[in-house]
Amino acid sequence: MDPLPIKSGDNVWKDGMAKDITFIVTKDCQLACKYCYLVGKNSKERMPWSVAKQAIDYILDREYDSNFNYESVVFDFIGGEPFLEIDLIDKVCDYIKTELFRRNHHWFNSYRFSLATNGLNYNSSKVQNFIKKNLSHLSLMITIDGTQVLHDMNRIYKHSEKGSYNDVLKNVPLWLSQFPTHGTKVTISHSNIPYIHESVLHLFSLGIHEVNINCVFENVWQEGDDILLEEQLMKLADSIIDEGLYQDYTCSFFYEHLGKPMDKTLENQNWCGAGKMLSIDASGNFYPCTRFAQYSLRDKEAWIIGNIHEGLDPNKLRPFLTLDRCTQSTQKCQECEVASGCAWCQGENFDAAKTHTVFERATAICKMHKARVRANNYYWNKLYRKLEMEGKREEFEANKKNVKSEIC
Amino acid sequence: MLQYLVILLDDTSVAYCHADNPLKEHNLIPLNTLRKAILFGMKENLMIQYVYPEYELPEEYNEVIESIDHVKIGREVAVYNAVPQTITAENAVLRISIADFISKQYDIAALLPQVTRLNISLTDIETFKDEQQENYKKALATLNAVLLNLYQSDKQPQVNILTDRLQLKEMHNCGAGDTNITLAPNGKFYLCPAFYYDEKIGISNRLNHHKPSSERSVGDLEAGLKIPNQQLLKLDHAPLCRICDAYHCNRCIWLNQKLTWDNNTPSHQQCVIAHLERNAARDLQQQLGTDNFEEEAIIKPIDYIDPFDVREQF
Amino acid sequence: MKKIVGQVTPEEKNAIQTLFERRNGLNELAKILTADNAELYEKLVKDLGETGVKFQDWWDTMAQKYQWEYAENGNWEINFDTCEIFLVTPE
Repeated sequence: MDPLPIKSGDNVWKDGMAKDITFIVTKDCQLACKYCYLVGKNSKERMPWSVAKQAIDYILDREYDSNFNYESVVFDFIGGEPFLEIDLIDKVCDYIKTELFRRNHHWFNSYRFSLATNGLNYNSSKVQNFIKKNLSHLSLMITIDGTQVLHDMNRIYKHSEKGSYNDVLKNVPLWLSQFPTHGTKVTISHSNIPYIHESVLHLFSLGIHEVNINCVFENVWQEGDDILLEEQLMKLADSIIDEGLYQDYTCSFFYEHLGKPMDKTLENQNWCGAGKMLSIDASGNFYPCTRFAQYSLRDKEAWIIGNIHEGLDPNKLRPFLTLDRCTQSTQKCQECEVASGCAWCQGENFDAAKTHTVFERATAICKMHKARVRANNYYWNKLYRKLEMEGKREEFEANKKNVKSEIC
Repeated sequence: MLQYLVILLDDTSVAYCHADNPLKEHNLIPLNTLRKAILFGMKENLMIQYVYPEYELPEEYNEVIESIDHVKIGREVAVYNAVPQTITAENAVLRISIADFISKQYDIAALLPQVTRLNISLTDIETFKDEQQENYKKALATLNAVLLNLYQSDKQPQVNILTDRLQLKEMHNCGAGDTNITLAPNGKFYLCPAFYYDEKIGISNRLNHHKPSSERSVGDLEAGLKIPNQQLLKLDHAPLCRICDAYHCNRCIWLNQKLTWDNNTPSHQQCVIAHLERNAARDLQQQLGTDNFEEEAIIKPIDYIDPFDVREQF
Repeated sequence: MKKIVGQVTPEEKNAIQTLFERRNGLNELAKILTADNAELYEKLVKDLGETGVKFQDWWDTMAQKYQWEYAENGNWEINFDTCEIFLVTPE
């Protein structure tokens, strides 16, 4: 008998127990997506190998330091478009694997490499060789917004402004054959609300079983957007339930534990992992999360917490590691009847804050969250009634996947 | 709730706390601004603390100054930037580096019989290294030994970093922007004098990288006070401080902003120094006999020196 | 066909998951290490052998402890999320 373990299907690997280390390998991208939060993209800031190597050495030298003494690790590669730097990423991953093993580092037993790509050069030989070399440790997501109309409305080429849908789509079958359980991530902004219903169904039809979707945290919402979102989500709920898609597909907009009051003491954790993560840019600067690097901040100066030469400045990390939900939330948020699942981005909080702080929660998303809660209540009430009528509720509950309500 | 209005009478008014005053050119507060400031203080029911420059003020100022009850920092409260031979004022501030505090601990101890109250203000907290802990502890113990002798006689001088904690049952911190506010000679309000100095010497407030600015005022006499995120200056919005019992700690928000970049979060250095002082106060309390103190004021033994290290336990 | 035949404790699951991860790591490291790097190559070969033995030992010990149902041409699998053991047999 050959005992082969099955791989975890959990979409949040080692949630809370993994250190997330992000290399900002380039600030360049082939696309100029209209909603991209990266305000300082450019083709000059590419991470040199020497910086990447020094960063890895710094981190691995501190195996038992409290900032790095996590059971597991995820090495993220982010851009711009990370696969523009496939040679560097490949070299970095080889070095990490070799060093973890050479040093008998405990992360050798528990590491992942993670990338989110626009998918344009997914089928190139370099990318494919990289994937084959690292397949069992790789988490890889291609971003598609939905239908061609929606995708091409936002995800356009930098110079020609042509939509990128067809160039991405041709790589989707290969991606899904290599990562069949992986999902995609859709970002909702003002302009794409009317397309949510058809886009999610379109992604399901492509064979993508998990669609992670969230409204942007920035203050982009206009009058009536919440009503439109609610309508779109209810339409989506009808389609998912009426067509029985809920059995094989998940859309993170619908999350059972959403929209409940929260206890000020027992449910006081911070939402986001900023500060427990570490991002490194091409100059070797450290950040609590990529969103605190200058290229992703509208106004504030970058929140640099150290660099590869001088190391981490623990003082600059203290605000992040002492954050809790209530301290940064307004009284209205603390007392909100539908608070659970209402997310925030620490970087956006900082960027939008009146003072230099991470303790002022941005609330631009409030009315969109409430609209989502209404549609979500509709979804679960309708689904459970249907399952009860069919006598399948217990079976469904026993088998349902554990979906995280929101991703950053 | 605001209780004190600190008025800097000149740009060169004496520094009396952690931050040095880097401003060298005289810039006396206009008389009309001073009058308005006093009126503001009266209407808001604030106790006024004038901070004096070293030079003598024109006579017309004295009349205005005396028009309201006040404290004179730099005059009746003497401020020293080096350890003096003797202190004649009853209340004094000694601004000193950590290294000097350690090396001149006996000279400082010798001053204690001369004062009613001595505020010791360390001017380089950001440079404190963990390796200095033992020496700082020893210096505090030196002062404790003198205090113990004095307390057993009739004389009972106060030393902020040692004796304040003996009686406190809750946090009693600097309160910049919360219980006190500073008015600068330009007629604008600042959380404390250090924020005014930073603005004047052009240190970026880090709020806008497109248009760097050092602006730090929180209102003016015409428009009134406008303190953004004032809740973050209060104890209940400081996750580390609200669990802490180093009640005497200055909880200096200027140092917080400088070292951790967030007003409500203290640095490792500030926490460690405050806890060394707290523990020294405990030693003093034990030697004085805990029977002399109310139950709630008895300082408990702890096994950490920075509450950040045990934050998960609270 | 796949059916549940048992469950291990979380601690037992952690042990096999660590070995599973290590084995994957060693296999992927083997793709980039060559005999030129003699010291590391020897370490890798030795570790691959040791990990393989520990891996098999775990299944043998657990099978002995729990007496799971088995089948000719079948194999056991573990779900790392639930600690459940499955018997998988060809359709």
